[in-house]
Order: sequence, then structure tokens, then C-alpha cells
Amino acid sequence: MTGQAFFVLTALASGPRHGYGIVREVAELSQGRAQLKIGSLYGVLDRLTADGLIEPDREEARDGRLRRYFRLTQDGRRALAEEAELRAATARVVRTRLGLTGAEAAG
Amino acid sequence: MSGGLDLEQRYRRVLRLLPGYYRDTWEEDMVAAFLDSWMTGDPDEDSVTMEFDRPSRQEVVSVIGLAARLYLGGAGAPRRYFAWGQAVRGAVLAVLLVHAAAGLDGLVSVFLGSHRIVPAPPATIVTASPGGVWPPTVWYVAGYVWIVIYVALVLGHYRAARVAAVLAIIPALAWLLLGQLTGSLQSPFGSWAFWFLIDLAPILAMAAFHRDAPPAARRPWLLALPAYYLLVSVPVLAAEVTGHRDWVPDTPGLCCILVAVLCLAHVPRVWSGRAGTTGVWSLTLVLLAAVAGVYRIISLGDYLRDPHLIYYLQGPHLIDVGLAELLILAAAAALVAPDAARAQTAMPAPPPRPQLG
Repeated sequence: MTGQAFFVLTALASGPRHGYGIVREVAELSQGRAQLKIGSLYGVLDRLTADGLIEPDREEARDGRLRRYFRLTQDGRRALAEEAELRAATARVVRTRLGLTGAEAAG
Repeated sequence: MSGGLDLEQRYRRVLRLLPGYYRDTWEEDMVAAFLDSWMTGDPDEDSVTMEFDRPSRQEVVSVIGLAARLYLGGAGAPRRYFAWGQAVRGAVLAVLLVHAAAGLDGLVSVFLGSHRIVPAPPATIVTASPGGVWPPTVWYVAGYVWIVIYVALVLGHYRAARVAAVLAIIPALAWLLLGQLTGSLQSPFGSWAFWFLIDLAPILAMAAFHRDAPPAARRPWLLALPAYYLLVSVPVLAAEVTGHRDWVPDTPGLCCILVAVLCLAHVPRVWSGRAGTTGVWSLTLVLLAAVAGVYRIISLGDYLRDPHLIYYLQGPHLIDVGLAELLILAAAAALVAPDAARAQTAMPAPPPRPQLG
């Protein structure tokens, strides 16, 4: 799973969001390090939809423009949980190899 | 002045780069998300933004990247775009195969020469590499890198192939830029055109090797490298070192002949009526014929501008021979072109996307 896909799935983990809502959430989750451009975002959304990991939730019109909301599917939730576990395990190994304790890592 | 377009219209113009089927599904959503990212809620500020701002370069690049992935489709793409994706991937591998075989040729020649198994290659071959900026070793190494690029691409290491590809074209680019600045390029148009066509274009077209692209058939493409070397490079080198240089077509002519032979070899399959199964290969061959044809035309233009080259390479009949090669190539490509046109609709459905592990 690419970093972008991981962030997008994470952004949707707390509930359905529309395109710009996902961009904003990803920027916040990554502390500004991941700035998704719209072309990249829709490439990721298209792929995740085709993979069955997300699906359209609803459409809302605001300021005369239609916004499509997306939500995680059960498969998406499972894939995200597995990926998060994998990344956490990797992070634990890195901490161990660097000789960092939990407090040092947090500090 | 804003030129009569507002920010939304400017962004919609950028989105026209995307295929129609994709725009039908996503355009309104993309426009809404894009404008949301610009609007502040302050009517005055938003009005100025709408009138004077334009999509950032990174935004445009992200749309170009998306367009490249969609037009050169992989698993799950509509048949037409999947056919184009497969054809471009095949053409890129074929061009890289020629580069890799040239690298292999250099590698074997240096090895045999250093062990005195064969005499050193004639001076005419050695001096064919442009010099002046880099020592010969750099050109040899750049040649070997094409082998790495080719093998990496066949094995599915796309990122490594891209990094190596950038390294491989830098020496020639530096040589061209320096030649341009100092006015030492004998044929500026031809030199740049060759570089764009043979080096840069296939590397840009490597964009077709994206995450959704089906992997290349490893075994046949890996075997193609030694096969090409033995069947093409070795006879050419043998003719050159035995003093029969004029028996061998120049490189553009050789490319025309090889593509023409491939087209003719493919014709029986096309005519056997297996519609839909041959089309992608036909489309690949038409793309390769276009590349070889342009390569031939640019080189003939060079020869006409610098008649000395004609005698240096092959003698006074080179122009006539070159035109004959072009004609043969065009005729052979015309035999498979109708099948290539049908490929966009008649080919089997693309495979489903691989599931995430």
C-alpha cells in the first residue's frame, strides 16, 4: 500500500469525507508533510474504489457544486488495520535497533 | 488581465487532459475539491482569487501524471486505453532492448579486446561515440546502464529503472548542451532530435509502467537480449571488423529493416483471423515503425545537410537505400495497421487489478 493510499484510508477511518475534506485531513494527519494535489488524490480514490477499499457514500450540493463523499468499506477497514499493524511493527523494530525507549522516542 | 477565464475555467481546461470517460465521472468532483482548496470564505478575497489566480504547476503536474496513467491504461482500464498502454509498454521495451544490446555489444567488445581474444574494434567504431566532454569510459558505462534499465524494467523494478534511465541520458545531454553553447555540434537539429527520439521519449514513455500495468513477460523479453545480440549485433560487428562495412545498413536503416521484418513475420497471425488476440502487438509494431521511420527521416536530413557523412558511412547510394528502407517499412507497417486500429475495440478485456496483499 502506498503512503498516499494509507493516508487517504486513515482520513476516512473516522467517517465519510469529500475530496477537499480528505486533502485537509491528510495534511493534518501527516503534520503538513503530505500535501495531496487534486490530480493525485483522485488517482488514489479511483484506485481504492476499484480495489473495493472505499465506496461512494452520498452526494451533497453546496454553493451550486456537487460534492461526492467517500467511506471505507469493510475490506478497506481490514486493509487499513493490517497496514497500520505492519507499520507499527516496523516502527517497533526501528526503535529497538536504535536503542530507543518509549520515553526517548516520545521525547 | 485574466484573459476572460476565471480560476474554475482555467482548471477545467487543465482537466481536458484527462480521457472523456474519466472526466464524465470525476470532473465535477475534482473542480469542487480544487476550488474548496482555494476559497477562504471572504467574498472579496475569493473574487480576486477567482479572477486572477491559476492552478499551480504542481497541480497541473498531478493532472498530467493522472492522464498518463489513464491513457496508458493497466488492469481495470477501458479496453482502448489498456490496448494503448500495452502497446506503449511493448514499444518501450523494444527500444530499450536495442539500447541494451548496444551496451552488451560494448561490454563484450571491451572484454574480448582487453583479453586480446579479438583485435580492438576499428577506430571508426570507437570514434562513433561523441567525445570531448567525457572520457570514453563514461560513454561505455552509460551504454552498460541501458542493460540495467532494460533488465530492471522486465523484472518489474520500475523505480530503479527510472533512476538508472536518468543517469544513462545525462552524459549525452551534457554533451549536447555544451555543444550547443560552444557551437561545436555539427548538426544541432539532428543531434537533439536523435536524443529526444531515442533517449528521452522512451524514458518518458516509461510512465506506462505504473502500478496497474501488468508485468512484462519475463522469459521472452530476457531471452530477447542475448538473441538480439547474437542475431543482429554479432553479424553487424563481424561485417565491420572484416572490412565489409558497406554491407551493413546504418543504425536507422537497421531499425527500419528490423521493424519491417517483425511486421512481415506478424502478418500471418493477423491474417489467420484471430481477431482481438494480435491487435496489441500490431499496435506496438505500428508505434515502432513510426519511431524507426522518424529516425530514418531525421538521419537522411542530416546526410543531405552534410554530404561528407554519406561517404564516411556507406557511400553515394545511402540516400537511395535510405528511401528504399522507408518504403519497405511503410509497406510492412501498412499490412498490420488495420489490425492495430481494431485492437482498441476488439481486444480481450484487461485483467482485473491485483488484490492488495
